[in-house]
Amino acid sequence: MRKRRQKPSEGTGVAEMLEINAVSKAYGEHRVLDDVSLQLKRGDIALLVGANGSGKSTLLRCVAGLTAFEGSVRVLGADPRSGADNRGRIGYLPQLVSLPESVTVGEVIAFFARLRGVSVRRPADLAAAVPLPDGFLPSLERPIGALSGGMRRRVALGAALLGSPPLVLLDEPAASLDEEHSSSLWETLQALRAAGGTALIAMPLLVTSMLRHDLASVADRAVMIDHGRVVHDGSVESLRPAPALGAHSLTSLPSLPSQVSR
Amino acid sequence: MNVAAVIAVAGWELRLAVRGRLVLGTAITFTIVCVAATLLGLRSLSDLGLAGVGPGTAALINLAILFPPLMGLMLGANSLSSSRERGLLPLMLAQPISRLDLVTGVVLGLVGAVWLTIGFGFGASALLLASVAGTADVGGLLVIVASALGVGVVSVALGVAISALAGSRLQALGLSMGLWFLFAFAIDLVLAGVGAAVHLGPFGLFVGVLLNPLEAGRVLMVLASGADALTLGPFGAYLNDTVGTAGAALAVCASLATWTVLSLLTAWTGVARRDP
Repeated sequence: MRKRRQKPSEGTGVAEMLEINAVSKAYGEHRVLDDVSLQLKRGDIALLVGANGSGKSTLLRCVAGLTAFEGSVRVLGADPRSGADNRGRIGYLPQLVSLPESVTVGEVIAFFARLRGVSVRRPADLAAAVPLPDGFLPSLERPIGALSGGMRRRVALGAALLGSPPLVLLDEPAASLDEEHSSSLWETLQALRAAGGTALIAMPLLVTSMLRHDLASVADRAVMIDHGRVVHDGSVESLRPAPALGAHSLTSLPSLPSQVSR
Repeated sequence: MNVAAVIAVAGWELRLAVRGRLVLGTAITFTIVCVAATLLGLRSLSDLGLAGVGPGTAALINLAILFPPLMGLMLGANSLSSSRERGLLPLMLAQPISRLDLVTGVVLGLVGAVWLTIGFGFGASALLLASVAGTADVGGLLVIVASALGVGVVSVALGVAISALAGSRLQALGLSMGLWFLFAFAIDLVLAGVGAAVHLGPFGLFVGVLLNPLEAGRVLMVLASGADALTLGPFGAYLNDTVGTAGAALAVCASLATWTVLSLLTAWTGVARRDP
């Protein structure tokens, strides 16, 4: 694992926000994750980059405590699988989520707020519980069935970020979002980082390349995963597009054996 | 157990269910059929010059063991499997809620939806009976309602167990409908067809009843509506001789409770062991 330079404010005794140690996962004979290790400190925003099927979503599901695996995951020192309360420290947005069409935006937010123990006694509490800019969520009265795909994604994002959990796991959060709301999302993540929050964001390789400049202002790390193994861990800028292709390709990656544990 | 989370999930499931076409359609159909059965029962008795309607309420028993269980099984089968396919289940299980809390909340919410449907159907029948024949005869209906509520719980728990284990929503719905047909008709037909040939006898039939929650519910309703075990014919006579009416009622209640507990355990285990 690449050693990061310690920030002045960090003491040597500062606990890791997220510790992923030697995590492996297989579905039958197919090995999806292979000995993945990764650490994030408070305030880290890291991109988890890779091609389709590289294991990004599975790694996020492992961290969210949703699937069994070999190895260990610790969020603020606790195993997310060991108790429901430990999952309260995590906000998770799955890659694909289809909210029921018969409920309103407000009902979705209120439901997940109750599950997270966030107080929402008045309608005004609903919007306040979601750490997103005004206007990011569609009107609370609107039924999900009347929303576009991007709007539904924004509602799901709102549900994932409810109560500002210390660790946020977002699986392709910008999918279906327009430019304006993507920018709002990056601003929210910046605010999250400023407040000491941590995020691990899975993104496809091509999208990462296209949004490289936006992401560079938000994320301070890019962890590339390929066939279930971490193959690169560096700055977002290090994900440079291949000159001939205009987009990053795995073959164009620098070889970093001395900097990458996996 | 996180009671607040269970209540939140139950409320969510109930809200989704009552806004769905299945519950609305079943509630309307069930109410219409219940009212029709009650009116027909009242007219038949009136033609015979009878004032009481106690036996008339028995006409509702068959409705009570057909409609609510079908609805409970389908709602339950649709619950977890649908959430899994929608990607909603991982979003819910990523919250600070245990899988036990989730399943419990889902079952409670769907039981509420089934109970509402039963309430509408039998409520309309009870109003009719009370207005025509007096409140004394409503008592028989109320015990049928209570039994129907119990059968509703079993069917929802069974449906959720199927939902937890099935590979897809479609498979879960197919299995639940197959199970309903098996319990509502097929087992009865098989017992009637081969019971005598294999010398099943009253005890064998009694075991058959206990192994079929819908039949157990039907027997419980007959017993609870004021009739003694003899109403059930030779099989009832056997029950009366061996365990008595109260004993038979207790046995079928135990059967329903066992079906519920086993189904819930299956659902909890299925959700706990499987990736959402």
